[in-house]
Amino acid sequence: MSIRRFFPLLVPALFACGGGSSGSSRTSVVDSRDEYDPRSLDPALSTDVPTGRAVAYVFDGLTRFTPDAAVVPGLARSWDLSADGLTYTFHLRTGVKFHDGRPFTASNVLHSFQRVLDPATKGGRGWPLYPVKGAEDYAGGKQKGLDAVVVRDDSTVLITLKEPLAIFPKLLAMPVASIVPDNVPKNFGEHPIGTGPWKFLEWRHDDYLKFAKNASYFDGPPKMDTLTARIFPERSTAAAEYEAGNIDILNVPEQESRTWEADESKKARLQSAPALRFWYVGINTTRGPLSDVRVRQALNYAVDVPTLLNRLLSGRGDLAAGVIPLTLAGADKSRKSYPHDLSKAKQLLSAAGHPTGVDLELWVSQTPPFPKVAETIQANLAEAGIRVKIVQRDASSMREASRKGNTDLVLKEWYADYPDAENFLFPLLHSVNKGVGGNISFYSNSEFDRIVTASHREQDDAKRAELYTQADQIAFNDAPMIFLFFYRDLYAVQPWIQGFKVPAVFNAQRWTDVTMSKK
Amino acid sequence: MLAFIARRLLLSIPTLFGVLVVVFLLLYVAPGDPVQEMVGERADPETIARLRKELRLDEPMLSQFTHYAGGVLRGDLGNSYITQRPIIRDIRERFPKTLLLAGSAMLLASILGITLGVLSARSPGGWFDRLGLGVAYLGISFPVYWVGLILILVFAVMLKWLPPSGYGGIKFLILPAFALGSRSIAFLARVTRSAMLDVLGGDFVRTARAKGLRERVVVVKHALRNALIPIITVLGLDFGYYLTGSILTETIFSWPGIGRYVVNAITRRDLPAIQGSVLFLSVVFVLVNLLTDLAYAKADPRVAYH
Repeated sequence: MSIRRFFPLLVPALFACGGGSSGSSRTSVVDSRDEYDPRSLDPALSTDVPTGRAVAYVFDGLTRFTPDAAVVPGLARSWDLSADGLTYTFHLRTGVKFHDGRPFTASNVLHSFQRVLDPATKGGRGWPLYPVKGAEDYAGGKQKGLDAVVVRDDSTVLITLKEPLAIFPKLLAMPVASIVPDNVPKNFGEHPIGTGPWKFLEWRHDDYLKFAKNASYFDGPPKMDTLTARIFPERSTAAAEYEAGNIDILNVPEQESRTWEADESKKARLQSAPALRFWYVGINTTRGPLSDVRVRQALNYAVDVPTLLNRLLSGRGDLAAGVIPLTLAGADKSRKSYPHDLSKAKQLLSAAGHPTGVDLELWVSQTPPFPKVAETIQANLAEAGIRVKIVQRDASSMREASRKGNTDLVLKEWYADYPDAENFLFPLLHSVNKGVGGNISFYSNSEFDRIVTASHREQDDAKRAELYTQADQIAFNDAPMIFLFFYRDLYAVQPWIQGFKVPAVFNAQRWTDVTMSKK
Repeated sequence: MLAFIARRLLLSIPTLFGVLVVVFLLLYVAPGDPVQEMVGERADPETIARLRKELRLDEPMLSQFTHYAGGVLRGDLGNSYITQRPIIRDIRERFPKTLLLAGSAMLLASILGITLGVLSARSPGGWFDRLGLGVAYLGISFPVYWVGLILILVFAVMLKWLPPSGYGGIKFLILPAFALGSRSIAFLARVTRSAMLDVLGGDFVRTARAKGLRERVVVVKHALRNALIPIITVLGLDFGYYLTGSILTETIFSWPGIGRYVVNAITRRDLPAIQGSVLFLSVVFVLVNLLTDLAYAKADPRVAYH
């Protein structure tokens, strides 16, 4: 579907022209990051990125993320944790009103969580609330009430977990845990009412969403009057709109970053930031020769990641030596990634009893630049005697096959929902998450599992980071994946925009501090 | 004539039923799973099993089909699995925008294409004819995404005459309509030229000229009218294709039409949305073909329908 692969021919011409002025005549600040129409504006249905972004504008959770990945109070002023690590007491803000004027109270928290978990909602994303005691049974219809969430008074709510989970406040900042008013109407997904900094104004499907400032927002109203989120299925079109001055920020397409960086006037407007996005090749550790750690390590030694990163992604990434992005606590920055070493790869293959190499299938989606990355990996592996057949499928077929365990190798990326190493270690590699949970490597290492489980209970940040580092080291040695790189975002921000920060998590930029200088 | 229309419409019912069955079967055997698309990247088996049951995806194929076909017979295309909105509303929202784009592209193509074709046929082998031939080859050869991006580059980014993309007033329509219609302009110009050359050599044209009619009347009233049949065929076919989703054009120009809707539905395995929109677009195709046939009779009274 995408035409991006044809675009490089045109790019130099396109960006050789056009200049910037320092002000805009628009009054609305315009975002361009959404690539498709949100699923809904109902927090309970927020399973995709555009939905999550919009929900973060209209709603608040008990906690929220700052653009640089800190977790700060949202509708909760503060919270305490019981000595056994099980019960959180959230002290809520008072005087907060929903956009329709109704007051926000503690019972909204209980009802919002029940609504997300209620099978009738058909949202499909209850897991961020499953740590709450009885939540999973409630979602499965095995339990009537959600008695682990207790409304003590209008401004206090107690939440008891089934097991201690130190990162629970981070889960509450996810879009799905947003607080909605009681008795929402049937068309809530298209007419959302929250407490957030922006009130919903208009949604033209596949075109744009529009929001107006909530002048009485408890954390200080946004500095601009309106916010428009335009939807661009083709990022090259967004780039043209940026050139025309019609949008305020642009997620610069990878193949265009070099051109932008080479242009002095544009370079000044670029913001680069490490994203919590991990590119890897999932290795199914249960299939044939791949069950041998030496074969999996050989795969890692055979791929020349630096060259791949440089040539195909304009260098927009940092080499991965493990699954924890370098900006998160627990990442071991001194650990070196697998070097490109063909003789080492061949030696490991021989030692594993495959002196003549192995035959594998590498699955990849059709979204650029993934197919090209797969071809490069195929060529790299061929040099080490590993014969790879590329299976190109649409993302949905690929997801299904890899979750069923029907693939040898899968090239994909993983986005963080919340800024914590656990969001990479646990879903991608813990044995309870095999298949649909995210562990498409079907990796199972009891020592790894034990450390990650222990990290869930560890309340001390420094000690927890230490556990993350240990688990990551185990995974690195076991090589249940080819560790590629952590993606770097590159944004262009118009010269008239002040206060925009590239967010580490997709729903962490709420545009409240952004201002525009007028023409 | 009315009997003809009624018979054609009746005959289209089995066609549409066939479409329903084929689309259903294709989606049934195709890999990919709507429930896994609903739950997103991280999920648990219980939720997936529960949703599958609620959506009746765990039932046998025949029971799923009769349930769906029953809804269609009652005029209910169902709700999207993903967005939970009624499919019929989604189509009603997007199709008029595609119709507007396709209609404008066809209008542009007929005016420019037929004019170019007639002018070329006036002096075959002349400089205008050769220029027209060159332009037509380029128009047919350039893919629409390339034309679209060049148009954006020149008219939106460099000259700043028109907005690069989006949906709105007429100024948003010009570039995508031109990009979409460019192939038809070229094609129509060639078809019109050859049809006109055939007709212009006819006896009745010589007679018309001999009785002293002005050249313009000879060409437009006598010759062009007789050359219309192949032109209508091309127009009808192209219009049908454009209406069923000019996906690339809609993507490049961020045009919120039905083509992007169908593609999104397919990507997310949103079964009711795929089935509903394919069925709807089949009806559109049938109607366009019928209109094309009726236009033949209008253009040439010798064509009669029984």
